[in-house]
Amino acid sequence: MRNFENMFSELLEIDDAMDKYEWIMDYGDKALSLSQHLCNESTLVRGCTSALYLNKVGDQFLSHSESAIVKGLSSMICDYYNQADEASRQYFDLNTLNSIGLAPLLSMGRQNGVANLIRRLKELT
Amino acid sequence: MKNFENNFPFFARNSKINYLDNAATTQVLYTVPRDRYEFEIEHRANAHRSGHRLGTWVDTQYHAAKQSIATWLNVLEDQIVFNSGTTQGLNDSAEFITNRHERTVTYVGSDSHHSLFLPFYRLSKNGDHVLKTINTTTEGLLDLDWLEQELTTVDKNTKIIIAATTVSNVLGKINNLERIRSMAYEHNAVTVIDASQIVGKRPVDITGFDFVAFSWHKIYGPMGLGCLIVGLDWLRSEPVRPGGGSITHVSFDQVDWQMGAGRFESGTQNLSAIVTIPKLTEWIRQNEQEIAEHDVALARYVVSHCPGDMFEPVSFSDTGLISLLPKIGRVEDYAYMLDAKNIMVRTGKLCAEPLVSKYGSGLIRLSWACYTNKRDIEQAFNTLMEIYEKLRKHVQ
Repeated sequence: MRNFENMFSELLEIDDAMDKYEWIMDYGDKALSLSQHLCNESTLVRGCTSALYLNKVGDQFLSHSESAIVKGLSSMICDYYNQADEASRQYFDLNTLNSIGLAPLLSMGRQNGVANLIRRLKELT
Repeated sequence: MKNFENNFPFFARNSKINYLDNAATTQVLYTVPRDRYEFEIEHRANAHRSGHRLGTWVDTQYHAAKQSIATWLNVLEDQIVFNSGTTQGLNDSAEFITNRHERTVTYVGSDSHHSLFLPFYRLSKNGDHVLKTINTTTEGLLDLDWLEQELTTVDKNTKIIIAATTVSNVLGKINNLERIRSMAYEHNAVTVIDASQIVGKRPVDITGFDFVAFSWHKIYGPMGLGCLIVGLDWLRSEPVRPGGGSITHVSFDQVDWQMGAGRFESGTQNLSAIVTIPKLTEWIRQNEQEIAEHDVALARYVVSHCPGDMFEPVSFSDTGLISLLPKIGRVEDYAYMLDAKNIMVRTGKLCAEPLVSKYGSGLIRLSWACYTNKRDIEQAFNTLMEIYEKLRKHVQ
């Protein structure tokens, strides 16, 4: 199992914020995404500016958002969570995201949404 | 265009930031933090209650602030109520009116900010207070032809309220205040005007209205301070928030309220903000013509240079701001990446959800002030186009 920092070390090496966003959007494009028919009120994560959906499909957490950046970020979090052991999942929080230099990209408004995403992941576990 | 930027210390410390969120909050004039600091470390005391010289100094500044506003906006000092901002002013106005009139019908502009819409929406939950919406024309102006016709249908026992914004914080169009005033006069209607997007940008005649509200943080001033200009007919109204400072005499069975606006200013006022107003107002008055010319020139520039093939403007703005609907991608994605390029704009529902929802899930708003120049706008448009191209690859 890789930790979050190792898993996304490539992102850590990117200095320019725009390039970081580009990388995140690319990641979201390639990631498995929650099917449209599962995007509904019951899978909606509250508190995000853009609509973000999360659900467990089989043993995998999958997400979807119409925002390319939110989709990329949530896919990264789901992918990490899917391969993390129970202890790592328990300690996973906003600070974990900061460890790969995402903090400057996450304003308070966005942090609320991501915090709700993490909370929902833990609820669904 | 005159360069006002040197008068705003924010830009000396943040030279890389392209600040285009001025419809929400402008940066402060250099005098404001100085006067605030001086008050806090040298003159701090309460107004109206102290016999000592510190209190007298504050009283003097407080009245100087009101005098400067009165001269600038051509109203009486007694009509000016200091409060926390436009929202408080508009909520209080709704309460003043319903304390006097049991049955009302409010015509509120569909281009309104939530702060104007919500107080009257809440009232309308009571059956005696009806809420109706004034739609906008295709140009983005309030449909006053419709309103004129509609007012003739209201029964004589119902008080008409016209709640209108001078400039929508979404559309940037200047509504015809003169016509609203004459319609109100003809139908003996009460007028509530949200002037927060016009005061400080263009000379404006706010006389003859019942209530006019604006906030100082949108006109180069301090946060947490607003003004409600109260029409002469309302100066003897019962205060909606009585308390210390609003009275001349209190006994257990008799209260004498202050004459004029003082009766509406209970409790300790935001004095560290109020003391900044005389110099700020003086600066705006001195530069009023140039600020207005600058605003007109930028509005024309923005409308003519907007990359309309990628971003649809929801109106051809007259003043202060332009709201854009991107043809690709979510507005949040634009906000994240504009921020990465040090460009600060507002995105989303713009506190005007009923109107914005007509266009889509959100808008991107660029709003300027006297220190904004054409280069700032050009940079924002170029970056928006760059982001658009990036998002094209990621959005089906």
